[in-house]
Amino acid sequence: MTMLPSERVAYSPIIDRPVIKWPNNARVALWISPNVEHYEYLPDFDGVRNPWARTPYPDVQQYSYRDYGNRVGFWRMLEPLDKYNIRCCVSLNMAVLEHFPEIGQAMVDRNWDFMSHGIYNTRYLNTLNEEQEREFYRDTIDTLRRHTGKQLKGMLGPAISGTERTPDLMAEAGLIYHTDWMHDDQPVPIKVNSGKLVSVPYSIELNDSTVFRQHYEGDYFAMICKAQFDQLYEEGAESGRVMCIALHPFLIGQPHRIKFLDDILGYIMSHDGVWQTTADDIAEYYIANYYDQAVAHAAQVNK
Amino acid sequence: MPAQRRFGMDHDHYDWSPISTRGILRWPNEARVALCVIVNLGHQEWSPPEGSYQVSNLAGGVAPRPYPDYSRISHQEYGYRVGIFRVLDVLQKHGIRPTVAMDALTVENYPYLVRHCLERDCEIIGHGISASQIITSNLSEAEEQQYIQRSLDALNSATGSATQGWLGSEYGESARTPQLLAQAGIRYVCDWTNDEQPYPIKTPQGELYALPVMFELDDVQALWSRRVTVDRYSELLKDAFDTLYRDGSSTGRLLVLNLSPWLIGQPFRIGFLDQALGHMMRHQGVWAASGAQIIDWYKNNLPVA
Repeated sequence: MTMLPSERVAYSPIIDRPVIKWPNNARVALWISPNVEHYEYLPDFDGVRNPWARTPYPDVQQYSYRDYGNRVGFWRMLEPLDKYNIRCCVSLNMAVLEHFPEIGQAMVDRNWDFMSHGIYNTRYLNTLNEEQEREFYRDTIDTLRRHTGKQLKGMLGPAISGTERTPDLMAEAGLIYHTDWMHDDQPVPIKVNSGKLVSVPYSIELNDSTVFRQHYEGDYFAMICKAQFDQLYEEGAESGRVMCIALHPFLIGQPHRIKFLDDILGYIMSHDGVWQTTADDIAEYYIANYYDQAVAHAAQVNK
Repeated sequence: MPAQRRFGMDHDHYDWSPISTRGILRWPNEARVALCVIVNLGHQEWSPPEGSYQVSNLAGGVAPRPYPDYSRISHQEYGYRVGIFRVLDVLQKHGIRPTVAMDALTVENYPYLVRHCLERDCEIIGHGISASQIITSNLSEAEEQQYIQRSLDALNSATGSATQGWLGSEYGESARTPQLLAQAGIRYVCDWTNDEQPYPIKTPQGELYALPVMFELDDVQALWSRRVTVDRYSELLKDAFDTLYRDGSSTGRLLVLNLSPWLIGQPFRIGFLDQALGHMMRHQGVWAASGAQIIDWYKNNLPVA
């Protein structure tokens, strides 16, 4: 029997947990996650989620809007990231490595960490059976290793999709973190059948894709990112917090927006006590230092 | 049944009463505004039971996605793990006693939070079974009675006292809900968002009052459905208060806020709530109270002509 999603995470109130100390007593572990994606021109419709719902395929308007991110936006996005020496944790559709090797090389050159975001952003996990989903993890792990020599450690489900089995199969494939959970400001153990899996908080709020899909603009994105940082920085003096900013090159790389990314990074990186890191490193550090303690503590809370 | 074209309301729940012709409502200590903050703990199920009704504007995540909807459900879970404590801290800082709306699945799955809220002197009110199982007129009368009873039984046994207030999950009601709530011993209901004062609801059994929420200032409505920026939202709260404070010099006004910790409790939002409540509580003549405290006063001090 597969666990229900509601059984995966034990309740744990943030005010009543073992204290987390990040390396060098940092208050906030900051990870920046560009979503480097490719959406297929003529995808298959899986029957539950329509990648291009606006028109019959292709939808050239929406396809090319996103393709702009790979042709132009990605390269512009690198400028402020490089200026502040940000080591990103890319959320990557693995097929990008095959289609657009210059992008893969630029990320390898910068020593980024690589988190799986599936193969394509138009191929969701929801309808995969167990064996297909196992093969999916093999494919993402192999593709990353083949093109970068790196070992895959975590995943944000493709277009944030998954199945009930996803955490178990991820752990079975040797992955250690899952970022589809927007439930916390600290890493959290996720129950799995074998191995250890944690969630590293990603953000659906500090995410250019949710912000710029609405009427908000770059100034607002900068304002909320700074406000988020200020709050977490204050709380992080007592126990470490995680802050994620999620980016999409086709959105943040637009000429009218890029200055706001510079503004955000300049503000945050001017503070002491920021551990600018990746989800890979956060997960490893947490598992090495706090995982067992967190599991034991949650059992107490829910007794 | 379609309305009959005659004087008054097109239902029997309450009488037509324009605020301009009412008697004067006096709050304790000549306060101008009674402020009540409802902290909304509505539980979202991963897989709602078959036949349960889902509102068309489910909040959270990017948008509703096929099962299992990790991002939307976990986004709401943030309120239970993290957001609630920021909201309660801000209310405590400003001396506002919280009114916490808890549905049955919250009570059953988060006993820690029931204890925590009682320790912090919150009033806890009924909030249905879950945000994914709400009252609609699809329920039969017997089903609706059972629904209300399940919610109140869970709450009463967890708190050890009789629940006095009610906010329907997603404001859900049938045409008979007020009567059934009164029959079950509820004394006030927050679902009707139509006034700036409490008012009596007519019921065959029991004694029921409306404690109206300001719907436009509900954070899910403002920040999620209408996508008001959070700094502007803080200004809306202050502007609303300033107007009620001015109008409250002639007859008492009520400001009931319904806030969801998964949303207003996010790190980048909480400071804006802090600012707005700080603005309100700096004024003389503001009575911050829980729902039952306001209704207790109101029923003993009905407006006089």
